[in-house]
Amino acid sequence: MNGQLKAAPSSHAGQPGPAPAAPPGLAMRGPWTIEMLARNGEVLHRHRATSLPIRVGRAYDNDFIVDDDHAAAHHVEIGAGADGNLVLRDLGSRNGVVHGGRRVQQVVLDGDTVVRMGHTSLRVRAAGFPVAPELLDRTMHGWEGLLPGAAGVLLAALVTLLVAWLLDAQPFELLYYVQAPAWGIGAALLWSSPWAFLNRLFGRHARLGRHLFIFGCGVAALVGVQLGARVLAYAGSYEWLTRYGSHAVVATVAGIVYFHLATIRPPLRRRLRALCAGAALLGSGLVLIANEQRHGRIADELYMSVLLPPQVRVSPDATVADYMDSVAAMRAQIDAERAKPGQ
Amino acid sequence: MKHLALALILSCLAAGLAGAQSDMTPRPAAVPAAGRGAGATTLPLIPPLVTPPHLPPSAPPGVSPSAPAPGEVDDQDALPPPSSAAQDLYAAARGDLLQIRMLLKNGHTQSTVGSGFLVGSGNLVVTNYHVVSQMALDPDVYTAEYVDTDGNRGPVELMAVDVLHDLAVMRIDRNGSGFFKVPERPVRLNQGQRLYSLGNPLDLGFAISEGAYNGVVKRSFYDQLMFGGPINSGMSGGPSVTGNGVVAGINVSKRRDGESVSFLVPVRHAQELLRKVATQERPPRDFNPVIAAQLLAHQREMVDRLLEEPLAIKSMGPYLVPVRESGQLRCWGRSNIKAATAYTSDAMSCAMEAAVYVSATQQTGHVSMTHQYIRSDSLHPLPFATLASRLFRTDQPRGAGNARLAKPHCTERFVHTRTLPLRAVTCVRAYRKFEGLYNFTLLTASTDAAESSLQSRLDISGVSYDNGMRVTQAFLGAFGRNPRR
Repeated sequence: MNGQLKAAPSSHAGQPGPAPAAPPGLAMRGPWTIEMLARNGEVLHRHRATSLPIRVGRAYDNDFIVDDDHAAAHHVEIGAGADGNLVLRDLGSRNGVVHGGRRVQQVVLDGDTVVRMGHTSLRVRAAGFPVAPELLDRTMHGWEGLLPGAAGVLLAALVTLLVAWLLDAQPFELLYYVQAPAWGIGAALLWSSPWAFLNRLFGRHARLGRHLFIFGCGVAALVGVQLGARVLAYAGSYEWLTRYGSHAVVATVAGIVYFHLATIRPPLRRRLRALCAGAALLGSGLVLIANEQRHGRIADELYMSVLLPPQVRVSPDATVADYMDSVAAMRAQIDAERAKPGQ
Repeated sequence: MKHLALALILSCLAAGLAGAQSDMTPRPAAVPAAGRGAGATTLPLIPPLVTPPHLPPSAPPGVSPSAPAPGEVDDQDALPPPSSAAQDLYAAARGDLLQIRMLLKNGHTQSTVGSGFLVGSGNLVVTNYHVVSQMALDPDVYTAEYVDTDGNRGPVELMAVDVLHDLAVMRIDRNGSGFFKVPERPVRLNQGQRLYSLGNPLDLGFAISEGAYNGVVKRSFYDQLMFGGPINSGMSGGPSVTGNGVVAGINVSKRRDGESVSFLVPVRHAQELLRKVATQERPPRDFNPVIAAQLLAHQREMVDRLLEEPLAIKSMGPYLVPVRESGQLRCWGRSNIKAATAYTSDAMSCAMEAAVYVSATQQTGHVSMTHQYIRSDSLHPLPFATLASRLFRTDQPRGAGNARLAKPHCTERFVHTRTLPLRAVTCVRAYRKFEGLYNFTLLTASTDAAESSLQSRLDISGVSYDNGMRVTQAFLGAFGRNPRR
């Protein structure tokens, strides 16, 4: 367990990997800080001690008091060792001291050493312990709060309104155009709330406004990509754009998820990018497999069903004879298909 | 006779339970005519034999269009009690009347039941093709047996099939008494002449029904005789005879929307098939090539008849559309109610009334064409384009449809006929077991206007590639814009 703790990034520094260990001499210069750690390595509590030895336990005459039922009244003592290092010694407790998964009587503390006594994980650092360099702030605090949140909600509402308008083939009804944006706003809140909750859980702040903004932009991108693909496919006879349209959707959704994740843990951007790209590839693969299973072909549709006003189109018309030639050209493929064993 | 009595008692009971709401003319007998509703819900129903096709087409391209099925599964009509002439006839004929059962080879479970009859004093049995289609198509899975009126059973051997006229000839291990006479020359019948139809209705037992000959029907692709009497499911393949035992036709189907209107295959097709069997020594090992050859002959005739003169041109709004209306192809029109939508839609549909039955899941040799013209004054061009796209889309069914067909391939282009630019999609599927046969679907949508759209669909099933192309080209090339508008 200690090994894991050592490898885990210190959340305070926000730096992946362990900080450089202090040279032995510095450990003897006080004051010293005792840190109580959570299982994931986060510091829960810090206490400063000005002199050695530091005594730790539940009793009120200790230098550092732990409220842990599994710790002894006087559990350990931290003092100077023979070679100038800090040493932690068990004072004869029942549960003992565990380091590196094994119960030990005493252990040398180098600043990154985490020991467990009872249910409490401790680390001790001297004043001279070198910390990781300051990180560049990429959080974009300006894109937070009410304004981006409202923009995201508005965007979602407008996009649903646009889609509702496009799909409306009934005589005008006000209720329809009131309901449509309401659905969009509801979806924005439903989608963003869990992300805000995760953000609060792993990143201290909820950042709901940012998540709403990401959702609004994401939905706009999703619809924009779909409409754009249709217009392009129809205008230039690029039927493959609609035939494989679901992959653009998968990629866009992966992008949305990436921005949500990067909001929660900005320092992990590169890793999250790889993760989302992998997920997108997996999603696309699943779409291909599902199409093959259901229809016997990897494309989403048999033919392009998009019809748009004539002004949109730039590709030329074929003659009936040309068209019949392309129908005749299909024959070889179809006969090959017949020869394949039945499904 | 016991079976007949049982059948009558059963139908009486059913009628009594259902409240005996009779819409049939009462007969001078103590037995009330059974209500039509009596057993209708207990049997799986097929769609009515003839209905105007739905518009816009709901079937995806490359799928066999639904077509009328022979009346193998049908709702019940109770048989009228026999007259004394019929009783005498039945008594004389019962020895040569057979029930034909399709059995699963694995476990000998019964899968379908039909009727058949021994011809003359030989060992050949005539029945409908659709009664034995499973055995013809999948001889590895299905086998068959006959059961006579005394309950004796025996194996049957399929000798020949005629898919187009829905006939089959089988050989069994016993000889007929010579009652059913299939004459060498076609039988002359007078309209109104009494005929007796025999068979095994609904697997209840052997039965006889009495009716009148009503002339030749030219609506279906191949002529059929109209019989004014009930033919029930299970009676398929049974004979319809004159009073002295001369076979006039073979029971084939009944129209559900008509009252006691049934159809018979003229006996001359059975004569031809029997003559063919007489010259062949042993049955073909594989019936698929035989069926394929018959279907190829059928489509040749069908396409030639379809294209013997140029397609008729009708106008729909500013457009000119090709249709064909003939004895076989009939057309319907339909329009939507304007208050419910922001657009108006007019539709026209022409389809062949009959198709060739190959199996329960495959009907072929069929042509249908539909046109739908939509327009709107109130919709903006973009929502209108979305609507048009939605109507142009036909979804692929689950499981890609029929296992007897290979998966579809499509080609799509913007095409300009003489006067009209179109979006055209042609999808073709090949028949797995019938070499040289394909289903063609052509979808077109006009691309000349932002506020109106003409969408058409042509389905031709069971044609050769060349004929499919011929019909497609004729249809596609006939579109145009009305110059007067």
